[in-house]
Amino acid sequence: MNPTLPDPLIQIFQVGTVTLAGPGLSGFIARVEARLQGRRGPRILQPYYDIAKLFRKEALAPTDASGFFLMAPFVAFACYLTIPLLIPVLTSYGLPLGYMGDILGGGFLLALASFAIATAAAETGSPYAQLGSSRSKTFGAITEPVVLFVVFAVALLTGTDLPYALAATVRSGAGQIVRPAHLLAAAAFFLVILYETGRIPVETHNGTNEFGMIEEARSFEYSGPYLAILRWGSSMKQMIFYVLLINVFLAPWGLASNGSLVAVVLAVLALLGKAAVVGVGVAVIDNSFAKLRLFKITQLVAAAFLLAVLAVFTLYLGGG
Amino acid sequence: MSSATPPPSVFDGIAGVIVVLVLLAEFGMLHATLLFLQLRLYAAQSFLLSVLAGVAAYAKHVPELYALAVLSCALKVFAVPATIRRLVGQPSQEIAGSGVLGVGTRTLLGLAVTAVGFFAAKAWHIHGTFLPSTALSLSVSVLLVSFVLMIVRRDVVSQAVGLFSLENAVSLASLVVAAAMPLLLEVAFLFDLLVAVVVFGVLIRTHQLRRRSFLTTDLTELRG
Repeated sequence: MNPTLPDPLIQIFQVGTVTLAGPGLSGFIARVEARLQGRRGPRILQPYYDIAKLFRKEALAPTDASGFFLMAPFVAFACYLTIPLLIPVLTSYGLPLGYMGDILGGGFLLALASFAIATAAAETGSPYAQLGSSRSKTFGAITEPVVLFVVFAVALLTGTDLPYALAATVRSGAGQIVRPAHLLAAAAFFLVILYETGRIPVETHNGTNEFGMIEEARSFEYSGPYLAILRWGSSMKQMIFYVLLINVFLAPWGLASNGSLVAVVLAVLALLGKAAVVGVGVAVIDNSFAKLRLFKITQLVAAAFLLAVLAVFTLYLGGG
Repeated sequence: MSSATPPPSVFDGIAGVIVVLVLLAEFGMLHATLLFLQLRLYAAQSFLLSVLAGVAAYAKHVPELYALAVLSCALKVFAVPATIRRLVGQPSQEIAGSGVLGVGTRTLLGLAVTAVGFFAAKAWHIHGTFLPSTALSLSVSVLLVSFVLMIVRRDVVSQAVGLFSLENAVSLASLVVAAAMPLLLEVAFLFDLLVAVVVFGVLIRTHQLRRRSFLTTDLTELRG
């Protein structure tokens, strides 16, 4: 028995997969990382237990913080819930609301989420939170051009900047996979992911080193359910980036080409497998490099910018 | 979908990726902070060129290119870096402080000359027999970036490596426009390079023995 699921339901599954698998992916990477360091490591399900525990805890807020401070985690979470509607998480064809935004639209939503959290952190008056807020916006400003050039490269490759279209273009033939522009844009995007998920070169994503903290410092003043929502949102953001890398740039195979239940379930399993492989790769990279001084981040961004601009050059000027 | 750039053939795509990696190796040399890292990057760049010659030989059935690939691999990947290493003789010395410009400015300058390379090669309307024309554009870019490397790094090793990689860029361009050039000529060019390497190696060694550093900024005796 293999019933065909209605498209709106599959779209809900897309959002559900990112929402539910996000913390699991973080747990898996933490486990792999611990193994690489010779430790036993936490359970893979630990992030779920942490989030559940935080939901039961009391929430406190700084006395001077306004309602925006309490609203920001939910704004960010809503943004992270919207992005999976726009990207090919499980299917190779567009679902209802799937074409309401392109890659730039997804980028705007990510930026809105980051802006909400940074503004709320700046409002707390806590020096660490403000430091994180200021750093994330400063470095965000220098990674934006990289993302823009990746979008330009995608637009030149496909003639549109819809994520579904790029995935279809990559699937269309071997010539599309090995063309330099595609590989350069994918490499640049991977470097952006390393930066955005706090893996390299300066930040410790588990937030123990104040000097290298960027994103982690912003949640310092949150507690209870608000912190739970922030943590959950952060793991969803990581999952969204992985989905974009896997299902749009690197390996858009294994997606459901129709609405049958078996195809959708297989697509979920394929996505989890592919995300786990990328997670292992990221953990290995993260553990093979020494953490650098904060201002060395420009070198990483310069490398990513170089790749992204070269992608556009080879397409626009070189025809490759 | 009509405005999409049509994909190259698989061979052109693979050749393009190798040539892009050659350019990235040049950028790596521009930013390298250790002497030996720079030499390794040069060896990697030369290896990529040999691979490209091998791929072109296989795909387009030009057996002479196999000989060129093997010779160039033996000389540029092993002999040249080993000679320089032997003549310099210092383990992993830093050349980090020799950049006149910061990382960001250097990258932007490199990208600007890369764009010039693309525009210049496009204006020539030359189409290679074996390799895609993107490779010619990129070879001009590699050549220009190697000039930038020699200009903005004020240490003798970078300047020598810049010159050697410039030769790599010229080899790449010759692979595109004159891949069927007589093998004897190619071999003569390679041995010319070896002479240059020995001369530069001796100069580097003399400079290092006299000044105890690789920096050319220490050459102040003839300054007014």
